[in-house]
Amino acid sequence: MTEHIVSSYDDDLKEISDGVISMGGEVLGALNNIETLLKNNDHELAQKIIKNDLIINDLGQSVENKVFNILASRQPMAIDLRIVFSAVKISLYLERCGDMCKGISNRVLKGDLNEAQSPETISLLVNMCSMVHSNLRIVMEDYSKKECENSVKVWKSDSEIDSLYSEILMDILNSIKTNPDATDALVPLLFIARYLERVGDQATNVAEETYFVVTGEDLEGLEKTEVENETTF
Amino acid sequence: MVDGTENDIKPNGNYSSDNNLLIDCKNVDVFYGDKQALYNVSLGINEKEVTSLIGPSGCGKSTFLRCLNRMNDVIDSCSISGNITINGEDIYNPNIDVVELRSRIGMVFQKPNPFPKSVFDNVAYGPRLHGKIADKDEMSHKVEASLVRAGLWDEIKDRLNEPGTSLSGGQQQRLCIARAIAVDPEIILMDEPCSALDPIATAKIEELIDELKTNYTIVIVTHSMQQAARVSQRTAFFHLGNLIEVGDTENIFRSPENEQTEAYVTGRYG
Repeated sequence: MTEHIVSSYDDDLKEISDGVISMGGEVLGALNNIETLLKNNDHELAQKIIKNDLIINDLGQSVENKVFNILASRQPMAIDLRIVFSAVKISLYLERCGDMCKGISNRVLKGDLNEAQSPETISLLVNMCSMVHSNLRIVMEDYSKKECENSVKVWKSDSEIDSLYSEILMDILNSIKTNPDATDALVPLLFIARYLERVGDQATNVAEETYFVVTGEDLEGLEKTEVENETTF
Repeated sequence: MVDGTENDIKPNGNYSSDNNLLIDCKNVDVFYGDKQALYNVSLGINEKEVTSLIGPSGCGKSTFLRCLNRMNDVIDSCSISGNITINGEDIYNPNIDVVELRSRIGMVFQKPNPFPKSVFDNVAYGPRLHGKIADKDEMSHKVEASLVRAGLWDEIKDRLNEPGTSLSGGQQQRLCIARAIAVDPEIILMDEPCSALDPIATAKIEELIDELKTNYTIVIVTHSMQQAARVSQRTAFFHLGNLIEVGDTENIFRSPENEQTEAYVTGRYG
């Protein structure tokens, strides 16, 4: 796309996209830390992730403010309107991702990993975190380049994360069956898995928005996918 | 005139496929002397809808608009070929009564142009000219009804004998619309009707357009993308005399198919 006749319009749009990309970077950093956190039960890192969520929220607020201004001053159309509209949605998805990371960190600070005594399940959670991180990284890269080919792949492969989520659920339920005394210690891991699964959902949401920005079309099948995920839990 | 058969229609999707087609333009070329202003334009306009014509200055949108009520006839150097029908009637048929045709197609211009007459006489002018109303009471009723429809009655009902030119710009434009609808047209053509008006007067005209579309087919030329997006159901983009893209307004401003359209509506056209 060529530049606008009014060059400051390009600057305004770039600031919005850059804000979203920065949010994505912060969330990816948080997911990286979650992976380490799960492996090492690092409470200091958990504190850092919780603190970092404020930065993600501030970035989200900044994107919203810029969107307000550009809507009022430029009345964007077509691709510009899609960029602006999607920025609001994606920043909201990323803010939720930050909240999930914060939720996991809070769980760890409560001592859930100590009490669980289930290295196999934690190992599966680490794998899940790695997959979620990979998906979000791919869609954010697409978003930053205004491409959507890889986002579509992520969108289509979200069921892999759902499968792993189901596997973790089964693993925990089986552990509870064989050792009912460990129920209180194992149930919190369900919540961590659930948080990660929801971050994976947000990554597919970002993929949908990126596809919309690039093509002006909607990715089909969204509602069906969401309903299936909800019933899985 | 070409036959306007299906084979003549440009295979570019620029054609209305709706059943309520009122104005049917096929392969329209317009020349001013040697200079071609419109190239093979095929465009259908639906009944009781608002269709916006957008595009940069000199793209041919006003020329196209003026083809619809044969306003271009008054320009000696202008020649038109192609086929334009309204309700299936070829409006360039040599036997057609142009005065009668124009009574069916009202027009509102960029700059309000009330006659140097009273408000009442401005509105009564058309019905008198076409001999539609002779009775004084009936004329008073027609004037009132037209001013009410134009959203002007409450503001100027006590000023009917004052010159039309004494009204504010926005009121003058609505007076011109009242004048246009006093002869019960099917179609109202608007050539940048708000470009000389302030935002409040513009909002009143847009509100009026919204109301009028239940009874009239409206074709509006506008330089404001936002106005096109607000008031019209279909939008046609012209560039250098060519019809580049036409479609539902929502699609044109959300995700146009043509790159030139996208460049224009986003302000990238240089």
